[in-house]
Amino acid sequence: MDPLLIARLQFATTTSIHFLFVLVTLGLVTLLVGLQTAWVITGKQTYQRLTRFWGTLYVINYVLGIATGIVMEFQFGLNWSGLSRYVGNVFGAPLAMETLVAFFLESTFLGMWIFGWHRLRRGVHLALLYGVAITAYASVFWIMVANSWLQHPVGYELRDGVAHLTDFSALLSNPTFTVAIWHVIFAALTTGGTLMAAVSAWHLLRRTTDHQLFRTSLRIGLPTAVVSATFALWFGFAQEDGVALAQPTKLGDEQAKAAAVADFTARFGPGDYLPPALAGTAMEIMIMIGFTIWCAVLLLPLLYRDWLIRLRFPLYLLLFAVPLPFIAAICGWLTREVGRQPWAAYGLLQARDAVSPVDGGVMLASFLGFSLLLGTLAVANWVLFARHAARGAADPAIGRAPGADADRSDTRPESLFA
Amino acid sequence: MATIWYALLGLFFATYLVLGGYDYGVGLLLTRPGDPRDRRAALNAVGPFFLGNEVWLVAAVGILFGAFPLLEGELLAGFYPAVLGAVTGVVLVTAGVQLRSRPRAESARAAWDRVVVAGSALAALGWGALLGGLLQGVPLRADGHVAGVSHLFTPFVAATALAMVALVAVQGATFLTLRLPAADVPPVARLARGLVLAALAALAAATVLGLLSDRVRAAVARPALAVLLPLALVAALLAARAALGRGRAGVAFAATSAALALPVLLIGAALWPRVLFSTGDPAASLTVADAAASGPTLSLLGWLALPLLPALLGFQAMCWWVFRGRTDGRAPVYW
Repeated sequence: MDPLLIARLQFATTTSIHFLFVLVTLGLVTLLVGLQTAWVITGKQTYQRLTRFWGTLYVINYVLGIATGIVMEFQFGLNWSGLSRYVGNVFGAPLAMETLVAFFLESTFLGMWIFGWHRLRRGVHLALLYGVAITAYASVFWIMVANSWLQHPVGYELRDGVAHLTDFSALLSNPTFTVAIWHVIFAALTTGGTLMAAVSAWHLLRRTTDHQLFRTSLRIGLPTAVVSATFALWFGFAQEDGVALAQPTKLGDEQAKAAAVADFTARFGPGDYLPPALAGTAMEIMIMIGFTIWCAVLLLPLLYRDWLIRLRFPLYLLLFAVPLPFIAAICGWLTREVGRQPWAAYGLLQARDAVSPVDGGVMLASFLGFSLLLGTLAVANWVLFARHAARGAADPAIGRAPGADADRSDTRPESLFA
Repeated sequence: MATIWYALLGLFFATYLVLGGYDYGVGLLLTRPGDPRDRRAALNAVGPFFLGNEVWLVAAVGILFGAFPLLEGELLAGFYPAVLGAVTGVVLVTAGVQLRSRPRAESARAAWDRVVVAGSALAALGWGALLGGLLQGVPLRADGHVAGVSHLFTPFVAATALAMVALVAVQGATFLTLRLPAADVPPVARLARGLVLAALAALAAATVLGLLSDRVRAAVARPALAVLLPLALVAALLAARAALGRGRAGVAFAATSAALALPVLLIGAALWPRVLFSTGDPAASLTVADAAASGPTLSLLGWLALPLLPALLGFQAMCWWVFRGRTDGRAPVYW
C-alpha cells in the first residue's frame, strides 16, 4: 500500500472526527458561560438547571475532543516526520503554544469545574468556566495560526532546504488566518446554537416535563444559530479574495492557475499541481448548507408569543437541521485541506516529501486501528450524548449534590457500552 | 537555550509519568474483584486531577514539536509500534474513565472499566518500551531517518515495558492509600506492598537484560548514571514499601513518584549529549543540539511560553490544594 495515501486518509479521518467534537465544545462552552453567568447574577434556578443540563452534555462531548486531539498531535510525528524535519522550526511553534498555554490550562480548569460544584465559591467556580472558555478560544487561535501557515507559508527563510523562522508577526497577520479564524468561530457557534435549539425542540415536541426550561434554551439556541450563521457566511465569502491570491490553484481564475502551475513546474519539476475536484464540490455543499441554516432567520418572528412552539412544525425543522452544521463543517475542511493538495505546506513542501519513511503495512495497521477505535468511541459518545439529552434536566450528572447519587446503578437491562 | 528546553521536555514527560502513572495504576487495579462501588470510589479518588494529568503528556509532545522538531519526527516514527500502543492506551483510558459512569447499567459500566484496564496496560507498556528503546539506540540511516521498526523488538525492551506496568501499578495503589477514606486503606496498602515486590522483580530482569545487551552498553554515554538508575529505583521502591508498612502514605507516594520520574531524567542524562544513539555509526547519532529548532524559534517560544510557566504550575497546584485530603461522603462523584 502507498504510505502517502494511507497517511493522508488517516489525517483526513482523524481531523474530521476531531472537528465534529471541537465544534460542539467551542459552541457549547460559549453558551454555557452565558448560562452560568446568568445564574450567578440573577440567582434564578432555571439558569442553574440549564447550566447543569448543558454542562453534562458539554462534558460528554469534550471526552472525544481530547481523545481525537491526542491522536492528531501524535500523528504529525508518526506519519508526517518530513513536516517536522523541513518546516517544524516555524510550524511547530504555534502548535507548542497551543498545547502549553491553551489545552494544558483548559483541561486543568475543566477538571476543577466538574468537581468544584458544591465545593468552591460561586464566583471562583464561574471564573473556572471562563478560564475553560478563554483557553478554548486560545486553542482555536494557535491551531489556526499553525494551519494557516501550511496554507500560506510566511515569515520564514529557507536555508539548506529547511525553513527557519524570521518574522513571527507575519504568521499572525497571515491573510489565510485573520478572516478564517472568525469563520471557524462562528461556524462553531452556529453548531452549538443549532444543537441547543434542536435538543430543546425535541423536548417541546415530546411534551416532556420542564416546558419552561426548554422554552428558554430554545430562545437562546435559535437566535445564536441564526446570528452566528450570518457571520459565518460573511466571513466565509470574505476569505475568497485572499485565498485566490495566496492559493491560486484553489480559488484563482484560469490565468492565475496556469501561472501558478507553470511556476511550480519550474521550481519543483512536472507534476499535478491542481487540487482534486472534491475540494470544489465540498465548497458548493458548504455554501448551500450555510444559506439553508441562515433561512432559520424566518423562524425568529415566530418566537413572538411562542408561535414557534405552538405551530410545532418549525420544531421539526430545527430537529432535522442537526446534521447540517456538521456536514458543512466537514465540507469546509475538505475545501481548505484538499484544496491545497498536493502541498503539505503550500508552494514549499509537497505531501509526498513530508510523509514518514514508514512501511506501508505499519501505517495501514495504524490507520485501520485508529479509525476503528475513534469511530467506535465517537458513536458510543454520541449515543451517550443523545441519551443524556433525552433524559432531560431532572437530575443531570454535573452539579449533583454529593451523596445524592441518583445515578447509582439500576438493574434494568441496557445494551453494552450505552 | 536548547538545554533549557530539553530539561523542560524531561520535566513535563517525567511529571506526566508520575501523574498519569497513578491514573493508569488505578486503572489497572480496576481488575480487582469486588464491589462495583469500590471501583467507582477508586476512579473518583483520581477525580478532579484526572483531566489535569494527561495534559502534561500533550504539553510534552508540544515542546517536542516546537523545540525539537527533528527529534519529534524521528522519535515518534522510529518507535512507531511503542508510540502506537501508548497513544491507543491513552485514548482508551481518557474515554473510558470519563464515560464509564454515564450509562446507568452496571454491566455497561463494567464493560467501560475493562476498556480502562486495557488502556492503562497499553499506555504503560508503550511508554516503558519507548524508554527502553531510547536506551538501546536506533538504526539511523544515512539520510537521518530511523530504518524500520524491528529494532524495537528485543528482550530488554519487553522487560522495560513490563517494569513500567509494575511501576504504575505500585504508583496507583500508593495513590489510593493517600486518597481513599482511612477505613479502606489497609487492604490497598497490603496490595501496594505486594506490587512493590513484583516491580522489583521486573526491574531486576530489565537490569540484567540491559547489562547483557551490547546495544545498551554502546548507547550509554555515562555508564555511571545508567547503573545508578536501577539502584535509585530499588531504593525508592524499598523506601515506599517501608513507608506503606508504617502507614506513611505521603512519604510512600513521594517515593513511588520518584521511581516514575527518575527513569526519564536519568535516561536523558545517561545518553547526553546524544538523544537518539545510532547503532550503525555512532557518529551519526542525533544530539540534543542538532535536534533543536533554530535560534529564533527557541527564543520566540521562550518569550511566549516561559513567562506563563508559573501560571501553568500555579493552576495545577491550585487543583491539588483545593481537592487535597481523603475522599469522603461529601466529595463530588462524577467519573
